[in-house]
Amino acid sequence: MPETIQKDSLIGKRITKLDAPEKAGGKTRYIQDLDVQGQLYGKILRSTRVHAKIKSIDTSAAKALSGVHAVITAADVPWQRPIGVAKDHFPLKTDRVRSLRDEIAAVAAESEAIAEAALKLIKVEYEDLPVLSDPNDSLKPGAPLIHPEPHGASAKHDHLKQAQGIAYAGKPDNIAMTFDYQQGDVAAGERESDVVFEDTFHLHYVTHCCMGVSGIIAEFDSSGNLLMYSNTQVPFLHKREFAEILNMDPARIRIIQPPIGGGFGSKLDIYPFEPITVFLAKASGRPVKLVFTREEEFLASPTRQPVILTLRSGCKKDGTLTFRTVNTLHDNGAYTSWGATTPFVMMQTISSLYRVPHCLYHTKAVYTNNPYAGSFRGYGNLQATFAVEQHMDMMAEAVGMDPLAFRLKNAQDAGEVTPQGMHFKSCGLKECLTTAAEASGFLAKTKANAAERGKPGRFKRGIGIASMLHVGGGAKIYPSDGCGTILKMDDFGSVTLITGASEIGQGSETVLAQLVCEELGLPMSAVRVVNNDTEITPWDVGVHASRTTFIAGNSAIGAARKARGKILAAAGKMADLNPDELDLRGSHIVETKSGKVVMTLAKLLRQLHFSDKAELVMTSFYYEPPSKHQDKHFKGDVSAAYAWATQVVEVEVDTDTGIVRLLKVTGAHDVGRILNRLGLEGQIEGGIVMGQGYALTEELMVENGVVRNPGFRDYKLVTAPEIPEMDVRFIETMDGEGPQGAKGVGEAPAICIAAATANAIENATGVRIMALPFTPEKVYRALHAARKEAA
Amino acid sequence: MTALDNYVAPTSLEQAVVQLQELGEVTILAGGTDLMPQSHAGRVKFKRTLMNIRRIPELRGISREGDEIRIGALTTITEMMAHPLVREHLPLLAQAADHFASDQIRNAGTVGGNICNASPAGDTLVPLMVLGAHVELASKPDDTLFRRSMPLPEFFVGPGKTRLAPAELLTAVRIPIPPKGFVARFHKFGTRPALDISAISIGVAGVLKDGKLSQVRVAFGAVAPTPVCGCATEEALEGKKLDAATIAAAAKAAQDEVHPISDVRASAWYRKEMIHNMTRRILEDVSANH
Ligand SMILES: Cc1cc2nc3c(=O)[nH]c(=O)nc-3n(C[C@H](O)[C@H](O)[C@H](O)COP(=O)(O)OP(=O)(O)OC[C@H]3O[C@@H](n4cnc5c(N)ncnc54)[C@H](O)[C@@H]3O)c2cc1C
Repeated sequence: MPETIQKDSLIGKRITKLDAPEKAGGKTRYIQDLDVQGQLYGKILRSTRVHAKIKSIDTSAAKALSGVHAVITAADVPWQRPIGVAKDHFPLKTDRVRSLRDEIAAVAAESEAIAEAALKLIKVEYEDLPVLSDPNDSLKPGAPLIHPEPHGASAKHDHLKQAQGIAYAGKPDNIAMTFDYQQGDVAAGERESDVVFEDTFHLHYVTHCCMGVSGIIAEFDSSGNLLMYSNTQVPFLHKREFAEILNMDPARIRIIQPPIGGGFGSKLDIYPFEPITVFLAKASGRPVKLVFTREEEFLASPTRQPVILTLRSGCKKDGTLTFRTVNTLHDNGAYTSWGATTPFVMMQTISSLYRVPHCLYHTKAVYTNNPYAGSFRGYGNLQATFAVEQHMDMMAEAVGMDPLAFRLKNAQDAGEVTPQGMHFKSCGLKECLTTAAEASGFLAKTKANAAERGKPGRFKRGIGIASMLHVGGGAKIYPSDGCGTILKMDDFGSVTLITGASEIGQGSETVLAQLVCEELGLPMSAVRVVNNDTEITPWDVGVHASRTTFIAGNSAIGAARKARGKILAAAGKMADLNPDELDLRGSHIVETKSGKVVMTLAKLLRQLHFSDKAELVMTSFYYEPPSKHQDKHFKGDVSAAYAWATQVVEVEVDTDTGIVRLLKVTGAHDVGRILNRLGLEGQIEGGIVMGQGYALTEELMVENGVVRNPGFRDYKLVTAPEIPEMDVRFIETMDGEGPQGAKGVGEAPAICIAAATANAIENATGVRIMALPFTPEKVYRALHAARKEAA
Repeated sequence: MTALDNYVAPTSLEQAVVQLQELGEVTILAGGTDLMPQSHAGRVKFKRTLMNIRRIPELRGISREGDEIRIGALTTITEMMAHPLVREHLPLLAQAADHFASDQIRNAGTVGGNICNASPAGDTLVPLMVLGAHVELASKPDDTLFRRSMPLPEFFVGPGKTRLAPAELLTAVRIPIPPKGFVARFHKFGTRPALDISAISIGVAGVLKDGKLSQVRVAFGAVAPTPVCGCATEEALEGKKLDAATIAAAAKAAQDEVHPISDVRASAWYRKEMIHNMTRRILEDVSANH
């Protein structure tokens, strides 16, 4: 036993993810690797038409195939309830299909091959309907309706027509959702303006491309309890939602999350395949496993929200912003998922990334027969930032200011409460701006590049800047934004952290373990994390909104502090010392001042457990952040803290081909405080690459409702040689509410790459492109058109 | 589900061609890097017999035979890239291999497979064409082994379609050792540096003497149902001094003579633009470096 132990801290250290050895060694058992005794394999028959009435479905041949245990259509589950944000989506389609992915029937069979063969035997008769593939067309008078009448318009469903939800009530127009927000008076703002710009920006479809494709196993026990192995990001909310859809008692539903091969927001909603698998399990009386093919993943999992955004903004001669008016058209696709609600986040960027006195914001999410969008890392912020930060550059140029000075003039400060009601208790935006600009040589390069523009030469260099604001202290979108923790200590000084937080590869279990170790003076090896079983773990609203480190972190710290208090009180009693003068270090109890070791933690715990009045060290804590729900005007301080970042992107444009190469990204991120430096770097670097894909290479090509590139050959993720050099700086603003001062950063790094890249291309070529992605052909066309105009 | 009745793995060329003749309905498997994804996607149906040709020694190896280099059909892209004879005499092929797929695919994919797959975007095809390659084919319709050979451009009929007879095997490609003063360039244009399918590709070769190009061969990939010769471009270059005017004329001829389609990878217009710009660039490079 050492005599003394000095204070040491894990905060800011580089800590390897707890699950890294298993993942790197190929030993992690994802849903794909899980099998349940007696399981059948589920497969879904999807529509071959984009928009059509279902005249008839004949499943007799499929049912007759040997090895097939269940074949179901909507007729077999008349009690199915609609899913989705607007409850406009039956898992199995009743009277019509509205997009190419639509689920018509499903099979459970003894092997995937038999299930597939059975699908081929199902005969469907369609009657085609006109296809709406452009949201503008959906708004035209006389446009065909996507949800004209109750889906189950047969007599069988009559009793449901009265109930809520578009699936029962229908929709007399194609407008799925609208958002209207106002602060100040934009007309007054415009009157004060010396410079006004109005432009329309086009944001495209991309999809998450999780390495692990979607999958689920559903199993009923003999008492009718449902167990789902599910990749959901929101297990507790889904328990309730599944209960609603399945008409079950929520208490009878248990969700276990196997290690999840990537989420990025895609697993925030319930998709038809999940209830369908449950239907199959019910129909067959056997566990059913359903895993997507990669092609299915491209066709039938959600996308990022495509947006047509018109931005009108103005400023005074001295660079003061005056107003912004935004109108967006969201292509809602055939059904409504979280994509339609991205305005919640878009509004924040528009109203509050910089100080703007007057803002008007309207969104229409419009039904089409296209794929539908879900939530995706950044949640509308990439789209809003793309427009806002291009206009910032344009206005700066128009009033003769450099892009940095113009931004600094309008940047937020700590203490600010914006007209939308967001309170920036900590705010490192100005420091992010100056740090990223200085580290990259932004101002000098901006000038030098612009001077080279007109000269001959095939390659042009450019540099561009953009900043972002995003929730970093949870987001109060539900009545609570909390998370619970249970912590128990064994006889040997090890701790089991049982948290409501979900791990989707972002490293949450590692950082939570680290925060607990920091409080209890333990090495990382002393923690086990349990975080994937609704029967065991405490409640939480799921992994989204960059909230886990902040919310679950504070919750874990709360539980650890309670355990610490119990341990030190017991140690004080045992050693006859004042507990306030004791500390936990290196798995020992020590005197705080001198570091003198009093006893090992293990010994103390054993004595506690074996004493006649056994006091097991076990604590629980629930953390609810001090944030507020938005009011009906979308005003409110929805997050307990806000994250900030500035990214500077350097590009090389090949004017012969239009190829844009990302040379370097310099990022400055206000993260509150660095907890696990390695995990943080991983998040930022991964986010930058995701932003790069959004900006340059990725595009889900949808033509007349048909996805033309459902595979990695033609859906282009960024490959290793394309990844730029990165110089990432961290700004520590020590947020007062954050766990050890930290703020959420999960979404931040992906948000401003596209905007900064747009500005960099303009700096390189003088050509501004307002539609994504910047594929070689698009850039080449833009340059070519500019050349033609010049000639 | 693909029902395979039969699997054979002949160990000699003789055995292979006999089996091909006897079994009739045979799918040939080399590296499988085209075949397997195509069958998965349902674009290719396996015939009754699957023949694995990887155990046939006669199909392997790269050798010099007189004035020619012979590359066996089973040579992998990796082997071709590294081979000393290729590096010395046909560096163009090593260069093309270096832009081919990824290491994993190069280790499995073969030259013979690339040729027989007859994709207009096959990356060895354009370089082999401008190097004047012939394919070597073998079959055994009766008691004697029948070998024939044809210039590569004649071999291609359409996407995935060749003049290979049903019971025939491609055994090798033969490439004449280039003469003195020979220059050759290959440019694969895709939108990213790795693991990309050519949006277009261009090969240019000829003998450069006193600033003039002769015996010019030009070929384009991914602009037609098969890789095609650039006859008009060849004409614009043949015997001409490689100056700015010639280069501009050749680039224009190239752009005018190709008739690509629009697909998810590029529009026809963009492909034509790239043919123009890349041809110009290749020629400028030749003129600057010789
Ligand atoms: C991820 C990926 C990336 C790729 N990237 C590229 C690329 O960058 N450039 C490129 O050109 N290609 C690329 N390909 C395609 C493929 O790898 C090549 O065409 C490869 O050379 C095919 O060789 P193989 O031996 O695998 O052919 P196989 O798949 O075994 O065969 C291909 C076809 O040729 C026939 N065949 C093969 N050998 C013979 C023979 N000796 N006689 C008669 N018939 C024969 C087969 O029956 C089959 O129809 C890529 C493929 C994948 C999966």
